[in-house]
Amino acid sequence: MTGNLAAGLAMGLGAIGPGIGLGIAVSKAMEALGRNPEASGAIFVPYVLGIALAEAVAIYALVVSLLLIFVK
Amino acid sequence: MPFFAAGELVTVSIKAEPLFSIGPFTFTNSMVGALLASAVLLLVAWYFTRRSTLVPSRFQALLEFPIDWMTSIVRDSGGSRWRGFVTLILTFFLLILVANYLGLFPGVGTIGLVHHAETGDELVPFVRSAAADLNFTLGLAIVSFVTFIWWGIRVNGVGNYLKEFLGEPRYMAPLMAPIHVISELSRLISLSMRLFGNVFAGEVLLATMLALVPIAVPTVFIGLELIFGFVQALVFALLAMTYITLAIAEHAHHDEHESPHADLAASEGTGHTPPAAEAA
Repeated sequence: MTGNLAAGLAMGLGAIGPGIGLGIAVSKAMEALGRNPEASGAIFVPYVLGIALAEAVAIYALVVSLLLIFVK
Repeated sequence: MPFFAAGELVTVSIKAEPLFSIGPFTFTNSMVGALLASAVLLLVAWYFTRRSTLVPSRFQALLEFPIDWMTSIVRDSGGSRWRGFVTLILTFFLLILVANYLGLFPGVGTIGLVHHAETGDELVPFVRSAAADLNFTLGLAIVSFVTFIWWGIRVNGVGNYLKEFLGEPRYMAPLMAPIHVISELSRLISLSMRLFGNVFAGEVLLATMLALVPIAVPTVFIGLELIFGFVQALVFALLAMTYITLAIAEHAHHDEHESPHADLAASEGTGHTPPAAEAA
């Protein structure tokens, strides 16, 4: 029971930071695209890499919560 | 260790379930998924290299599109030695993409044998999405890990590669060397955990939604998983490419890698007729 509660807390709190980070990354990418639509190809790869690295933190939280649920 | 959603038998266990074992070798259902993905790729490649034409048919163009697209990305941002590892990056991308999309087919993860255990009934599906097993993603991550270390040593030499671990002010080496080793190893962990976490969370999400609302609603999440499956394949391939490019560019040839679009600009330049030639 406490394991499930801890898992929920870990995932929920761990998603805050990546959520903010992804929001900043996407907003800046859209801003850049709006200013210069021809640069979409050049923006795409660093953008995907950036959101992947920001998302990795949430994945760590997911792994911790999965460990809390499944590993007794 | 089953994960029970609201309904009965909707289970996603965190590790792949063994189907049968030959001697010490246990065959799990995620291995079936990985082998199916490889078989699909091999068959399509074999079939269409036999009957490919210079002017592609509609289906051939569809198959050539991801290869062309991924190759152009690696060419644009993979540095000057992109030809050396473009096939590996393409293989990562196509294998993970096909494996992820195979996991979304109807029947995958839902058709299987029911095991009667003391804790309750448990469904053991015949096929499991390959990337929903840490063994598959860790295997791919180890391949990429070995490759970027090998490229770093091959281009910069063993001495330069080891010097990179010691850091720039040499008296800081006792502190910097462990940090560098850990940061290299954390790439291995984050590459494998990212793919596994995303695909496994997708499987749990689909199972939960299927148990809560069996009609119409899971379709939306299948569409979401189609996007995620593509993005995760792309992210894995791009990160592997970036790690290899960084390992190559770490020491030597900084001027060569500072403008990654130099060769692109050169190839575009040859496309147009230069004004001087027109004048002549």
